[in-house]
Amino acid sequence: MKTLKLTMLLVLGIAWTILDADGQETPTTFEAAKEQGRSKSRFLKETKEFAKAADAVPKANVAFFHESVGPILKKSCLACHGPEKSEGRLRIDQLNPDLLSGPDVERWREVFNALSKSEMPPEGETDFALADADRGRIVDWLGEELNASSLTRRNSKQHSSFRRLTNYEYNYALQDLLGLPYALADKLPPETASEDGFKNSSELLQMSVMQFETYREIGLKALKRATVTGERPQAVTYIISMPEEMAKAESKKEDKPADESKKPKRKPRNQQQLFNRETDESIPFPGGKTLPRTDAVAGQTPAVSPVVLVLPRSNELKLDLDRFLPDEGIMRVRIRAGRSTMNPDEYASLRLIFSAHTSNNANFSQVISERDIPVTATADDPQWIHFDIPLSDIQRNPFRKLTTTFPRRDEFLHIHNVSNAPGGEEPLQVLIDYIEISAPFYEQWPPKTHMEIFFESANKSDEQVYGREVLNRFLKRVWRRPVTSQEVDQFMALFAKYRPGFSTFDEAMVEVLATALASPEFLYLTQRATTEEAKSPARISELELASRLSMFLWSSIPDDELLKLAEQGKLRDPEVLAAQVKRLLADSRSRRFSQIFVEQWLGLERMNSVTHIAANDPLRDAMLEEPVAFFEEVLKHNHSVIDFLHSDYAVVNERLAAHYRLPKVYGPHFRSVPITPQTNRGGLLTSAAIMTMNSDGKDSHPLKRGVWMLKRILDDPPPPPPPNVPEVDLTDPEILKMTLKERIANHRNKAACISCHSRIDPWGIAFENYDALGAYRTHIKNQPVDATSELFNRQTLAGIDGLKRYLLTDRQDQFARAMVHKLTAYSLGRPLTFGDRADIDNLTAQFRRRNDGLGDLIQLIVSSNLFNSK
Amino acid sequence: MNNQTSLLSRRTFLQGTGIALSLPWLETFAAGSPGKDETPKRFVSVYHPDGVGLPLKSDPAWGEWSWFPRGGEKDFQLTKVLDVLEPLRSDITIYSGLSHPEARTVHGHSNADQYLTGAPIGGEGSYQNTISLDQVYAAHAGDFTRHSSLVMSTNGGVGGPRGAQTQSYNREGRPIPAMNKPKEIFDMLFVTSGKDAAARLARSKSALDLLIENTRSLNRQLSSRDQETLKQYLDAVRDTELKLVKAQRWIDTPIPQVDTKNLHLDAEPKEAKLYFQTMYELIYLAFLSDSTRVATFQLGRENGEGPHDLLSQAVGLGGAHGLTHDVKKPGGWKNLGTYNRYQAEEFGRFAQRLKDTPEPTGNGNMLDNTLAMHGSASSSFHLSRNYPIISAGGKNLGFTNGRYLKFGKGNEDNQAGAGIDTDAGWQSKQEVEELPLAKLFVTILQRLSVETDSFGGYTGSLTRV
Repeated sequence: MKTLKLTMLLVLGIAWTILDADGQETPTTFEAAKEQGRSKSRFLKETKEFAKAADAVPKANVAFFHESVGPILKKSCLACHGPEKSEGRLRIDQLNPDLLSGPDVERWREVFNALSKSEMPPEGETDFALADADRGRIVDWLGEELNASSLTRRNSKQHSSFRRLTNYEYNYALQDLLGLPYALADKLPPETASEDGFKNSSELLQMSVMQFETYREIGLKALKRATVTGERPQAVTYIISMPEEMAKAESKKEDKPADESKKPKRKPRNQQQLFNRETDESIPFPGGKTLPRTDAVAGQTPAVSPVVLVLPRSNELKLDLDRFLPDEGIMRVRIRAGRSTMNPDEYASLRLIFSAHTSNNANFSQVISERDIPVTATADDPQWIHFDIPLSDIQRNPFRKLTTTFPRRDEFLHIHNVSNAPGGEEPLQVLIDYIEISAPFYEQWPPKTHMEIFFESANKSDEQVYGREVLNRFLKRVWRRPVTSQEVDQFMALFAKYRPGFSTFDEAMVEVLATALASPEFLYLTQRATTEEAKSPARISELELASRLSMFLWSSIPDDELLKLAEQGKLRDPEVLAAQVKRLLADSRSRRFSQIFVEQWLGLERMNSVTHIAANDPLRDAMLEEPVAFFEEVLKHNHSVIDFLHSDYAVVNERLAAHYRLPKVYGPHFRSVPITPQTNRGGLLTSAAIMTMNSDGKDSHPLKRGVWMLKRILDDPPPPPPPNVPEVDLTDPEILKMTLKERIANHRNKAACISCHSRIDPWGIAFENYDALGAYRTHIKNQPVDATSELFNRQTLAGIDGLKRYLLTDRQDQFARAMVHKLTAYSLGRPLTFGDRADIDNLTAQFRRRNDGLGDLIQLIVSSNLFNSK
Repeated sequence: MNNQTSLLSRRTFLQGTGIALSLPWLETFAAGSPGKDETPKRFVSVYHPDGVGLPLKSDPAWGEWSWFPRGGEKDFQLTKVLDVLEPLRSDITIYSGLSHPEARTVHGHSNADQYLTGAPIGGEGSYQNTISLDQVYAAHAGDFTRHSSLVMSTNGGVGGPRGAQTQSYNREGRPIPAMNKPKEIFDMLFVTSGKDAAARLARSKSALDLLIENTRSLNRQLSSRDQETLKQYLDAVRDTELKLVKAQRWIDTPIPQVDTKNLHLDAEPKEAKLYFQTMYELIYLAFLSDSTRVATFQLGRENGEGPHDLLSQAVGLGGAHGLTHDVKKPGGWKNLGTYNRYQAEEFGRFAQRLKDTPEPTGNGNMLDNTLAMHGSASSSFHLSRNYPIISAGGKNLGFTNGRYLKFGKGNEDNQAGAGIDTDAGWQSKQEVEELPLAKLFVTILQRLSVETDSFGGYTGSLTRV
């Protein structure tokens, strides 16, 4: 075994030597490239700690100004912007050339804008004309210095992790606190993302009157939803039993003269109908009007009937529920369903749609089920499927309470079969024998959400004592810390003021609790200056650590277990902490972390403004899901983050696999499938969402793709473009004739544009084999794709393969560090600064030593100094 | 923060989510806007469904019954449809060539919803609207008055998606129910006592006191840097308190006494003239008493049926929606034109009333300080293009009237889509160029002192207005 390993190494070693000698060539396989890149890592070579390097802070390049830029400015600008004349009140000779610490950054920016757009020197001033090379020199220097300046200003600022919750954190916190699985915070004004792409960045999370008032409104409303008053309301219940429907249809038919020849006695064709599986009798059944049954009780389990509704692929049962559904509460839809065939490559699932058609052209229809529920049982042993729909959250027919019949008052529920089943002799259909619709539906009365707040207590009859009990428990969960009795006193005083205005204890208390939901300790992630741990004043307390941890991995408040450990002072124990991270990641709430982090890290929000794929296209949904599913796969198996650059597997579902031309992937769920390099997939860079959102609506957009690479993957964002850059003039016949790459080159070759573009464009051109929806192509308009480009350092990137190989061999450290940077910034909820650099370097070194595992990285971050400090 | 980054972040900020995002913005600007003592700036929009008569030139009815004027910007001649506005000629502007781009290929019946919002609501499927023009202004001016806006329609309520019975949508794009009973509107404006409101206010006040106390005790435990952050929260609570004080002031302020002689509070839509005039009079009184500065009024719903269809009885005609279908029958264009003429007449009467009333602050007359819009989201039969829009007043806001402003290209004589009476019209290709109506909205907002340069995702104003 040992010999074999040694031989392998030798072979690889030889391969490298040959390739290195060859200069430009890169290793033959991605695996070899990964290995070689790893061997080059400076983080792995460095054995000592990374010191707080003073040279990490950029310095102004004043030398180049004196040597080169100054003399040119003097020659071409001084006559009008000097001691003689100072047009535009600009004295070019008096600007401080130190842009990093000097006071003239804004004036320099104006100079940069004027020069880069060739507005200055004015045309016709031949004496002062600026040669292209000279203009390039000034613009390049200014571009670098302006960028360094804004970086310095941003990164030298101290940032605190003290911040308010983001909208989504607030939403999840309310959901988890009250046990309400609904979108509660939609009313809050939208939030912006930081330079790193993150919305939880402390400096951006502002508070305003509108924001505060909305919190109060949402909090009270959510509490009212979680609690109930009075008797259990009478539910409206509809029952659609297929044997009954069959009997009804039969009796209608019997009214007409019997026509034996029309009675079908054969296997059900692939059409929607009622079908008796024993007698093979069938009758078409499109649905229709159904009325609530006054005597019905929801939750029944009648014997399985041979009479079923046959629902083929893409068909739907449309039920007219008339106007009797209540305004609010949960509508529970129970469906007993099985499959007609059991081919594992075929799936069928149910989806609910709600609609109304109030008058001509005044209509709506809306998918109301959160996700499609797969039908997996056999027809002989069917399964129960249930959907819970909050009626107050969906679009309703506003005319349902009219006393007149126009506009129409009816509301419709559609039960839709979403499936990949092909037709054929034995088509897969969903067979349903029983449907029950009931609202408002309660598992118990009072509901669990109510009992969580107004729990049973021996003191329930004593409002003063019980009030304190309720508050104690509620405030502790809201504030994520034990509360003092003085604090409870304050709220009891408020209760005393409110109580006379309400008929019940509960109603008055709900108003009091709503106030707690608008309090700063709920809305903000605190870090107290004074903590019990006097020894290390920079540390956050264990309770604050519990909140930081749950915000990181659940985007929500800590649960009881986490709080208890913190209260007992056990959370900081390394083993306990590691076990808690594992527990949090194993919990379904960690799905929020994958979703939110990936969305913001990669900037997937941009998919919202994409118009070249329809919002309801299943491919679009699949595109958006892929990066999240991929991240989850890497996280679950503690794979190396280098897999994000390239992997020998893809994480896809059927729809996306078809788009990627990967065979034999069936079903809507995402799973990892092995792939070969010939598929031109692997990793995140070429995922359809990334390619699609970085397109211009018709075709690929190399510039956007390049900027995306630099910003999101390599954490090396290019400077923003100068204002009012002219669009490429597509009416110019000369330009129209060029290929895209030539057009870019044409634009880039302008002196003022070249320095930025030469750093961006080559990265994007390497993606040219992927079209506007990320499908792989070899030709564009009958021309072979030219995806070869050269980086500013003369490195040739031959298409996506070349790009990946280059990243794997030469940029692993940069990417690994970018990953550490992004995840750490996200976990802290603040921008990182120069002061954090050494910490990030050390984290990266530890991370690389542990083979770049994503799970390990999360553990490393949580146990790091940064995560435990203010 | 330097100039460029602030520009950039604002741009990305606006791109992200359209209009909803500009709101925190407006909120900040509201603080510096004109207060209670200055002359109020008012906005009212009146919507009528089913569009207007637009015969072909070759049709003998073209001469008298085509809605749009003839001639140029200043020397325009009104046809018989709008000649009732001749006395107000120097106080009105008529627009052509404007429409919401997203609605141009959607059936006209679906589009009353988006007239003031410009949202891409489409013709079917799921439905999402956005904030309406009046509510953007109400967010700005609503604090100065007892009611932030007055939302009325003949049918009342919200209607259904793509079948609106209100013109106003809040910042989440949800419809604001319209009031349709004159008595209820009058009571709300001039009778209602604030007992419930007072109790609610008292509760809020105690809650805010507690929160301030709470914030202070947290504040003491924070570093000075974090105290700066928490100050924002404290400021928000304090500003909310100020708003409560203001609200309390409204509760304590006596409700204005108004002259009720022109009101027929029991009038119903079928008594069209009385109803029309009473509703307009209510807007007039609400403005006069400065109870609100923002109003919308929808004359019924698209696609007929219900009370608005009876409004045409005012001029002795049958169902209003039917008039648009029957244009090719004998006298059809004349009938539709006669009804449109009547709508213009009532709008003119309202504008004249504002004009005849001196502004209580002494700054000209009330019309000079009010922009009153009148329009529809269809021109020709079910066709959501070339909206027929009139505005009146606003001289002191910067509007130069007495003009017929044609926008767009290729439809100078308003013949695109003219003379149609089938659905082939709205399904046809767009062959002429029109400008987004949102640009007019931007102009209106700017004149009303709202600092914005975009509406519904469209940036820029109409410079000629």
